[in-house]
Amino acid sequence: MPAIEYDSRVHVTRVADRRELAPGVILLGLEAPELVRATRPGQFVMAIPPAGESAATALGIYEAEGTRASLLFFITGKRTHELAELRVGEPLGLIGPLGNGFDLSSVPQRAAIVAGGVGIASVLLAAQALVRSGASVELLYGARTSELLVDAERFGEAGCELVLATDDGSRGRHGFVTELLGERPAPDLILACGPTPMLRAVGAIAAELGVPAQLSLEETFACGVGGCWGCVVPLARSSAQAPSFPPASRGGSDVVFARVCKEGPVFRSDELQW
Amino acid sequence: MVSLETDIGGLRLSHPTLMGSGCYGSGDEFAPFVDQTAIGAIVLKSVTRLPRLGNPTPRLVRTPAGMLNAIGLQNPGIDWYVERELPKYAGRACPLVGSVAGFSVDDYAYVCERLAADDAIAAVELNISCPNVASEGETFACDPALAAKVVKTARTTTDKPLIVKLSPNVTDIAAVAVEVESAGADALAVINTVRGMGIDVETWRPRLGNVTGGLSGPAIRPIAVLAVYEVARAVTIPIVGQGGIETVTDALEFFLAGAAAVAIGTANFTDPRTPERIANGLRDYLQQRGIASIREIVGKANVGLADAHEYEGDEG
Repeated sequence: MPAIEYDSRVHVTRVADRRELAPGVILLGLEAPELVRATRPGQFVMAIPPAGESAATALGIYEAEGTRASLLFFITGKRTHELAELRVGEPLGLIGPLGNGFDLSSVPQRAAIVAGGVGIASVLLAAQALVRSGASVELLYGARTSELLVDAERFGEAGCELVLATDDGSRGRHGFVTELLGERPAPDLILACGPTPMLRAVGAIAAELGVPAQLSLEETFACGVGGCWGCVVPLARSSAQAPSFPPASRGGSDVVFARVCKEGPVFRSDELQW
Repeated sequence: MVSLETDIGGLRLSHPTLMGSGCYGSGDEFAPFVDQTAIGAIVLKSVTRLPRLGNPTPRLVRTPAGMLNAIGLQNPGIDWYVERELPKYAGRACPLVGSVAGFSVDDYAYVCERLAADDAIAAVELNISCPNVASEGETFACDPALAAKVVKTARTTTDKPLIVKLSPNVTDIAAVAVEVESAGADALAVINTVRGMGIDVETWRPRLGNVTGGLSGPAIRPIAVLAVYEVARAVTIPIVGQGGIETVTDALEFFLAGAAAVAIGTANFTDPRTPERIANGLRDYLQQRGIASIREIVGKANVGLADAHEYEGDEG
């Protein structure tokens, strides 16, 4: 009798296109129709390393259109190195789309999207959706050098106004992208993705301006689907995103630990207790 | 047709592959992405008497060939769990093993009784070896007499299979196993994570919020294989072998060392298809060798422990 064939629901996609946008920055285009159909802006996937020798990697879904999705990532270690070695035609297993994504249910007049470094990988779909819904969208985009301000033009084509910054002053403002946020006319909505210090700064500026901000957090994930509780962040118990937990745990704390992978990765800045 | 069926102290399994506690949530989290028919049983995340917020962050650190974790038993407590969680788990495709953690003998007995009384729960694992809750949690698995007391008391609360999870952080794991067997355990889970830590050389701070954590993944596999080997020589109850299993070859090592089943944990974080791959691989392995059942290979590598040869004839 033949062995039982198990029906795995991992998306097995194929690499359709691979470009190195800058040294160490890879854009992988994938033939992934089911993923595209299900994806909302701000969601991510867990990419299963082809050699199977390291843990799966959480990557923001950069593009999703027609039958093609893409993943944009920086080579930072063994796992992303393995993914960067993929060639056109090779398979890549993904689980997703995962996480809650940005809440774009109320359309702002003016939106600011703040992206730092690899954070750019998680905001293109939101930018496109906001432009489509009639908002005027500013992309405040910062990186270490001009070379690492990858694919900024893509956002211009999508209808965003570009405001750039680099740490070394090689393009745009010489300094942090967050400095720009405080200087521009206040938007009605801020979306941000990038390193944790940048997100904290965005949260502080948003609070000063009195503008709602949604932050897409980066954390080390093990499972990526909510099973291990390793990627938590302190959240106000009153948050609609707080995981269902007993109302009064020992100590009567107002804070619960929410999973970045499951309840997030996007949280309302004013509800984070970090 | 070869058989992968097995029995863990009265818990009958279609496949000898369990999902390790704490690594697989309730199973629901992975269900949309993985076919779960190749899973023998899911060991649920540990639950305690009172709700627990869990440890401060960071809770995870990647290490060579594995990871450190210090989650700290974040859970809603047994009342909430029985009222609001377990009802969602009825009618699952594979058996569910409830997992109990505690800070006193009473805690274990109380939570065990509440869990075992629920129809959704097929067996109970006593997690007496969590390394991540100050020093209290693991104390039970490090003291044979205390471990026996927990098991004996929990035993009085249920007739469902009791699996006791042992710690590798002891001098003689077989001695603990023997005490736990005589106290009434139906099976043993060997091993929990190995204590470890990491330090950030930029900030001069420990890398885990809890300072110390539990090491899992392939890095600990040889430690786990030896523990299973030693425990299998000392007890007659079945063993669920676990510690860094990623491939069918890894799983086979555990069966040959004396495990009647294996549990998968960290490997799910590399590829959630791991249980199906291992089940297929086990079937191929048995078929190629004309072996009818996985049960036939359990403990077949156990040749005892070698004594070092002494140099002879040089008595000076």
